[in-house]
Amino acid sequence: MSSLEQRLQALGRELAFPSEPDLAVSAPATARPFPWRWVALAAAVIALATAFAVPSARTSILRFFHIQGATVERVETLPPAQERSNAGGLGRRVSVREAERFLGFRLLLPPLAAEPPAYLLDGVLATVILRVDGRPVLLSEYAARDYSLLKKSVGEKTHVEPVRVAGQPGLWVEGPPHTLTYFSASGEFRQRTVKIQGNVLLWTHGPLTVRLEGRISKAQALRVARRIG
Amino acid sequence: MVVDRPLDEAELVERARRGDLEAWETLVRTYQGIAFRTAYLLAGNAADAEEAAQDGFVKAQRALGRFRRGSPLRPWLLRIVANEARNRRRSAGRRERLALRAIDEIRPGDAVPSPEAALVAREDQERLLAAVELLPEGHRDAIACRYFLELSEEETAAALGVRRGTVKSRLARALAQLRESLEEDA
Repeated sequence: MSSLEQRLQALGRELAFPSEPDLAVSAPATARPFPWRWVALAAAVIALATAFAVPSARTSILRFFHIQGATVERVETLPPAQERSNAGGLGRRVSVREAERFLGFRLLLPPLAAEPPAYLLDGVLATVILRVDGRPVLLSEYAARDYSLLKKSVGEKTHVEPVRVAGQPGLWVEGPPHTLTYFSASGEFRQRTVKIQGNVLLWTHGPLTVRLEGRISKAQALRVARRIG
Repeated sequence: MVVDRPLDEAELVERARRGDLEAWETLVRTYQGIAFRTAYLLAGNAADAEEAAQDGFVKAQRALGRFRRGSPLRPWLLRIVANEARNRRRSAGRRERLALRAIDEIRPGDAVPSPEAALVAREDQERLLAAVELLPEGHRDAIACRYFLELSEEETAAALGVRRGTVKSRLARALAQLRESLEEDA
């Protein structure tokens, strides 16, 4: 090997490569523990009642956005929210196939090198953890039928923007902490409100409402969303 | 007696062909580093490289049935991932400039020269990197795969989707061009 070839080889060892993504999709046990735990919990959103059934959870609504299975309302003051919840997290860990059997629909996933585990809450909502540019991002899906399943409250500083994903309507929610209110799917009237620090992309895909949540930019979220389906 | 030993590549491939996801995950983790770096050098940016590597592994998993038993897996995987990366470069048309790792990222075990010698070596490497960046795309890719990633000629040919003879001639021309431009700079 010539001296120039040796120099090129040595140069290669000095190159700054971006950090290597985990393409095998790590399970949550190997994912970053906190603060994603509560973000993960927040993604497990189930509601049987509409958002507006709980007056105590909101203050004056300045404006609201609605897509199929979710409502985002802008309020003067955010409702009191838990930083974390002790109530179950994402749900039961199952295979994607098992989740689909329970849900009655096929999960929309981007191409992945290996099938991730799914987390099923109340047999209604499934969540998987993706890695986007090395960061964990939650992908949650549920069938929104005739009612709003999820309410997100945002303050004045949070940016809410209508977007389109593959021609379908969606919402991009970015900015300081916003809150998410949901209800038990068991039929009990049990409200939980949690604080979300990450950004959220919500969109519809046929009868499904899909959400991505994590510390990602709008461009990253849209890029992932376009690959789902 | 049952001996608990790690599975070798052929066994993992065989299991993955039969649908064993854990075996496939082990193979993905074994090769994801070199696959991602290859994709990065060919696609030119981290986001496209990650997508290319991910899509490449998905396609490889689906194509495992066509993988020739007994062949090395790495060149086969690199061919698929690199093809994805090259397609993305064509559609995106943008490339991040390569950079040297920061001096404070020197790894344990690296030789530690004097500060002056380190500075001279650094300038020398930056000059060489700049010269590589100016090469025509095909030549640059050949240099990147063969020397930066230290792929074999066969793997370089697989990654670039060309014959081994083409790799040899591209490398010869690229090296000649580099010598010329470095002499001009001197």
